[in-house]
Amino acid sequence: MDADLRVLPEGLARLTGAAAALLWALDDKFRSAALLTGAQERCFPTIISEDVLERSGYFQAFPGCASQLSAPSGGRKYFLSPAVCYHCYDMLKERTLPNNIIFTCCGKCFRNDKCDDTHLWDFTMREIVFVGTREFVERQRLRWMDVVASFARDLDLDACLVPANDPFFGPEARGRKLLQQIKQLKFELSVPLPSPGDMPIASFNLHERFFSDRFHVSLAGDRPAYTGCVAFGLERWSMALLARHGAPAALELVEEHDDLR
Amino acid sequence: MNSAAQNLLRFVNEELLAGSERRAGVDTPLFEDGWIDSLKILHLIAFVEIESGRRIPDEMIVMDRFRTVGEIARNFLETWLQ
Repeated sequence: MDADLRVLPEGLARLTGAAAALLWALDDKFRSAALLTGAQERCFPTIISEDVLERSGYFQAFPGCASQLSAPSGGRKYFLSPAVCYHCYDMLKERTLPNNIIFTCCGKCFRNDKCDDTHLWDFTMREIVFVGTREFVERQRLRWMDVVASFARDLDLDACLVPANDPFFGPEARGRKLLQQIKQLKFELSVPLPSPGDMPIASFNLHERFFSDRFHVSLAGDRPAYTGCVAFGLERWSMALLARHGAPAALELVEEHDDLR
Repeated sequence: MNSAAQNLLRFVNEELLAGSERRAGVDTPLFEDGWIDSLKILHLIAFVEIESGRRIPDEMIVMDRFRTVGEIARNFLETWLQ
């Protein structure tokens, strides 16, 4: 079967042949790199409960973007997960952690905002989540920005790191955007596209104490916990590499690349 | 401390931090540890815009210019950034 990444209507991606192998080869690189730094692996459901998204502030920040499901038993409301890391904060809720910790997880994510060739409704995200002191989380984010930007350069992607903002909604949207901008809480690694513009392939995020306060996560010694995460959009990495090299060459480049350190 | 910085500091302490035990100084980092939230930053920008008589474009609102009361006063109230 030909190697192909085809975006179907409604933002669904279908990968075949070497294109499908490429997506998993990329994930293998990111997963291995996370494990090499001591990350603990976690697997989470594709669906997430309404109360976890509510507690994460998702509905306020991204109204209308979550895809709702009917639970077979009725009762609680569920949604398709818009990000994998929300499961991590829920897993840690009400806990006091003895030390800094890193998790890695991968899953299907769903964002029902705008769907086109690069904004998929259904996509695959590898995440690395940091929980610990402010210094630890900030240091990890910086390190991963460096490692991933270097990997993109090695793959001959014309990628650059840029400060970014989430598309906030609601009356405080401008305030939230400006806070994110001032504090440089979000960076994206973007690759140029002929149209409609740059496509982010990874994001590097500091959440400060937002999630740890909402999920009551703290550090031993009565210290506050900070969180941050790195997220990789695997279909987008694949699109960028397929456009640059074609499937066989892209797959070979990724497979032959050293572990990310 | 000049009058522009004094006015701004008074606004931060008496308006933005009203009800809090915290008090900022002219060199206190405003954006650490949740001193300024997403609503307060809008009030802060509105105050500076009224005092300076000029609108501040969003792209000028960055940490290098907004870290402390002193830096905001220097950058937007005493002299306008080019």
